[in-house]
Amino acid sequence: MELIIEKKKIKEWLVVLGKDFKVVDTRKKVLPPKQYFFPVKEDLFSFDLKSKKLKTIDQSENILLLISSLNKLEAMTQLDEIMEKPQKDFFYWQKRDKSVLVGIVDESIKVPYGGDLVLEKINQKEYRTWVLNSKGRNLLKDKFFKKVLKPRTINYPSKPNIFKEKLLDSELLAEAVEWSWQSNHKIWNELAEKCLGCGICTYVCPLCHCFSMEDQVSLDNSKCFRCRQWDACTLPRFSQIAGGHNFHKTIKERYYNWYYHKFVRAYRQYGKAQCVACGACKDNCPAGIKIGEVLKEIVKDYKKR
Amino acid sequence: MKNIYKPFKVEIVKIEEHSSDVKLFRLQKEKGHFSVNDQGIVFNPGQFVLVSNFGYGEAPFGIASSPFEARYVDILVRRAGCLTKALHQLKKGDQLFLRGPYGNGFPIDFMSGKDVIMVTGGCGIPPMAALTEYIIEKKWKFGRVYLIYGARTPADLLMKDNLEKWDKDIKVILTVDQPDKNWKGHVGMVSKIVKEIKVDPLDAVAAMCGPGPMMDALEYILRPLGVSDRRIFVNMERKMQCGVGKCQHCTVGDKFVCQDGPVFNFDEIDKAWD
Repeated sequence: MELIIEKKKIKEWLVVLGKDFKVVDTRKKVLPPKQYFFPVKEDLFSFDLKSKKLKTIDQSENILLLISSLNKLEAMTQLDEIMEKPQKDFFYWQKRDKSVLVGIVDESIKVPYGGDLVLEKINQKEYRTWVLNSKGRNLLKDKFFKKVLKPRTINYPSKPNIFKEKLLDSELLAEAVEWSWQSNHKIWNELAEKCLGCGICTYVCPLCHCFSMEDQVSLDNSKCFRCRQWDACTLPRFSQIAGGHNFHKTIKERYYNWYYHKFVRAYRQYGKAQCVACGACKDNCPAGIKIGEVLKEIVKDYKKR
Repeated sequence: MKNIYKPFKVEIVKIEEHSSDVKLFRLQKEKGHFSVNDQGIVFNPGQFVLVSNFGYGEAPFGIASSPFEARYVDILVRRAGCLTKALHQLKKGDQLFLRGPYGNGFPIDFMSGKDVIMVTGGCGIPPMAALTEYIIEKKWKFGRVYLIYGARTPADLLMKDNLEKWDKDIKVILTVDQPDKNWKGHVGMVSKIVKEIKVDPLDAVAAMCGPGPMMDALEYILRPLGVSDRRIFVNMERKMQCGVGKCQHCTVGDKFVCQDGPVFNFDEIDKAWD
């Protein structure tokens, strides 16, 4: 038995859910879903400079995110893991605990790797429901969903993504990336020439989660906010300490560090690369660097060595 | 859910001027003592705390006081950036905020029963001070112990009172780059120092806090003595923001200085991508 919702009823269903949740459609947003739990910039604490009182800021709300890409749903599962281990990131989970993730996917699904509830397109008029947990189950309203024994199902194949297949062998990727640096592969000099060091690839990445913290004081010197904001390991001062010493002086080192984090360190820490092959970095890179191609070349040369 | 970013309040109960740009701050909890860890000490020598001065930010500092002292922790602050400048303007009785202790600290269980050579320079004294205090308290557990401490000039040597005190229990060897006319110690991290050190290289461990004196100490002291890289433990410094392994600023290869470190086995970390 399958649970089906008609395409034309989805809007209505969301209006009903809108009573309990702030419904956000992320489908046309440039920045990935992470921004709702780990905002570009957020205040963590307020500190009254006169009374010396420290307050934790709570900006969480019941939020429902509509996500159309399976990759981005998978990325949320991975980001949850990153923010969970070894200790829970308080400010991420403060927001994430109150949220639900709903996938509305226009391609056929073998296994959904993320989200609480996923709607899969099965024909021009209908979507099939995948309930992943109780959070997702609570969203089902009888009025909109019907049980069907054998719904009419058309196959909507996903776009071929060679890079996604490469990710399946994260061990090979980790070895190849590390080898490319140790053996002075020419690609890193070429990329250092190209890369603008702007950090856009890290902002649009659904998994990048570098941040920095900073205190901001009101003009009348009465209040201070401790903020955290997105940082990017490709920015010049990312590894610079007080006194001026910089552990990653050149863009070549910084750009390699981005790959090292995603494909080497992440693999050793979590057993998989911190990448879901969504292609956002490639699509938004102002220098036109095709990250997938870079990895393909490295892996090809690694196998030939 | 525990808020891992929320610091607790401490009071500055003592400030000492240790050089033209370094001050010691003694920090006491508002109420009660610092809690004891499963080793029975307040922190592991080599661990650090994140100190907040609201309005100026937060930064990591190695703890310089004895790990057996639960009433307060000491930190040494060199005037280097905005936050440290602001710290230098504070007075006794002012408040700060603290998180930690964080990190692993020196492998004291592995080190006990062995000869110990500590090498550090300039501002790298706090973790060695804590380690020295630990060793002296548990003297019967250790063999011959040396602390080699270098600075630019004699006036830049920090914790001078402690250095004299420690010299009764361990051998303290001082060296400076630019001596004045009263200086009787060594000049530079030089091979002459080796002659003063009598250890069994197969049963000795070294603890270092870099990066300044590290390479010279390796070349002129530890290598000639025959101490293997695997028995050298290094306390590392990196830019740090979160202190809890999330923000990615303090990485060394696949390790985080804040969680896996700050103390690393030299053999392991020497080959890592920076």
